[in-house]
Amino acid sequence: MSQEILNIKNLTVDFGGVRAVNNVSIMLEPGEFVGLIGPNGAGKTTIFNLITNAIKPTAGEIDFKGKNILGKSPDRICQLGISRTFQNIRLFPQMTAYENVELGFHSAPQYSLMEAFVRTPRARRIEIDTRKKAMELLEMVNLKEHSHARASSLPYGLQRRLEMARAMATNPELLLLDEPAAGMNDDECNDLIKLIREIHTTMHYTMIMIEHHMNVVMDLCRDSRIYVLNLGSMLAVGTPTEIQSNPDVIRAYLGEPKND
Amino acid sequence: MGYINTIIILGGINIIAALGVAILTGYTGLFTIGHAGFMALGGYMSAIFVKELGVPFPIALLLGGTFAGLCSFIIGYPAFRSELRGDYFAVATLGFSEATRLLLNNTRSMGQSIVDAESGIGMLFKPIGPLLVKLGGVFGYMNLPGPTSVFVVVVAVILALFFAHMFVTSQYGKNCIAISQDEVAAQMMGVNLLKTKMIALFVSAFYAGVAGGLMAFYFAYLTPSFFTITKSSDLLAAVVFGGIQSLIGPVITGFVLVLFPELLRTFAEWRLIIYGFLFVIVMIFRPQGLLGYVEMNFQFARIWWKKIFHRRQSSQEG
Repeated sequence: MSQEILNIKNLTVDFGGVRAVNNVSIMLEPGEFVGLIGPNGAGKTTIFNLITNAIKPTAGEIDFKGKNILGKSPDRICQLGISRTFQNIRLFPQMTAYENVELGFHSAPQYSLMEAFVRTPRARRIEIDTRKKAMELLEMVNLKEHSHARASSLPYGLQRRLEMARAMATNPELLLLDEPAAGMNDDECNDLIKLIREIHTTMHYTMIMIEHHMNVVMDLCRDSRIYVLNLGSMLAVGTPTEIQSNPDVIRAYLGEPKND
Repeated sequence: MGYINTIIILGGINIIAALGVAILTGYTGLFTIGHAGFMALGGYMSAIFVKELGVPFPIALLLGGTFAGLCSFIIGYPAFRSELRGDYFAVATLGFSEATRLLLNNTRSMGQSIVDAESGIGMLFKPIGPLLVKLGGVFGYMNLPGPTSVFVVVVAVILALFFAHMFVTSQYGKNCIAISQDEVAAQMMGVNLLKTKMIALFVSAFYAGVAGGLMAFYFAYLTPSFFTITKSSDLLAAVVFGGIQSLIGPVITGFVLVLFPELLRTFAEWRLIIYGFLFVIVMIFRPQGLLGYVEMNFQFARIWWKKIFHRRQSSQEG
């Protein structure tokens, strides 16, 4: 009986003598949208890196759709249906916005090498089809008019959106967003909230979002729950209102009140 | 006329090998200073196919290229498995190509000792002993047929350019480009690094192998001294000067780098020093190469065609 899409059990990782993630368990059901917050250095991005196997854990288990994915290569994990964005944007700088998104579709080529050399009608059809799908994704994130711009020439906010579109192009079931609102002002945050909600409702992804903008997290996770990490350990889990009034969380963010 | 033919043939051969390096270095971002080794493997193999087995010349070229491509896995698999990149991979290719050359240098004595062997491991290789003797070691593999002509080379260059274009614009080629720009992001987006790099290396070595074959059938003999590190660095120079992520750039420089030493015969000895100097200049002022990121396309031809066509139409109407 395992209907949960992602099941992280007692995950621990040590960097030298530092325990970056300590005995963390997270369980997600299909279609959920959860937030992951915590002060700087809490180990949030490390958890994403562990899920996508950019880092190997010291102990613990990660099951995706009931299968253990620990030790599988990052590209294999992506093909299984986990995709992500990066905290410090990692687009392909010299490729156009369109090419960045397109890559997500064909990172596992859809035709054989021989077909690539002679470009059979089937291969051409696949390419036209891919092009259509990539343009649809670009339209969804409002980047259609920038499709021929070099990724590195796009403004910061658009690069974040482009990264999201690229992650969606790999056809994931679980989408990991690493600080999608970093460096955005309130207006941009509101647009982003709308976009992420639209993506969540139309594409039916299960999503985990790391974010420091509390209004973004509280808004997007209002029907669901938020995980709070501190110094590598799970500090609290709960609805946004529970989290906001949790004394441990407040202490972790603001520090101990001075008793003199 | 013969002199010009020679330049065209050698230039064309250099272009084909440079296209191979462009696929690996320009598009996948893996530096190689060992493509002379793949040229040697392809050259010797296609020569053996034609001379010893009587295989027709074009098929032998393809078989030689395939052989070079397969040999590339010997270096590619362990290197990419252990995630060698940058200078480290370049050094590995250099080692491979030098090992190949030294092995070829000693085929004669190796073959002789196998032929003479009465027992032991030599007995296992008995059938290929005489063949190794024929390859001739440092003295060269003599009396090959010489069907490489200007026509053959021009056709080969056009085909090579066409298929290289097909490859780099395919999904495989685009994955290669992604690897060259951000390996980690490419892998996270689902690109299988090992497989994609091996494919790029295979195609690249295939091109070098075919170039080696054409060379064998032009000179009508082969010696390991054709395939020194100088040859490899010439090819890398063509790609670095010509530009990364460009096919037309390496094609132009691949030809110019053959033409240039011919025009300045007296300076030929100084070539490597001049290259080194130019490398530094290019790296400082134009790190992407002269035609870096300039894709070969036929858009301009289409525009010209439209212009001419429209002019004619409007003049007919007027």
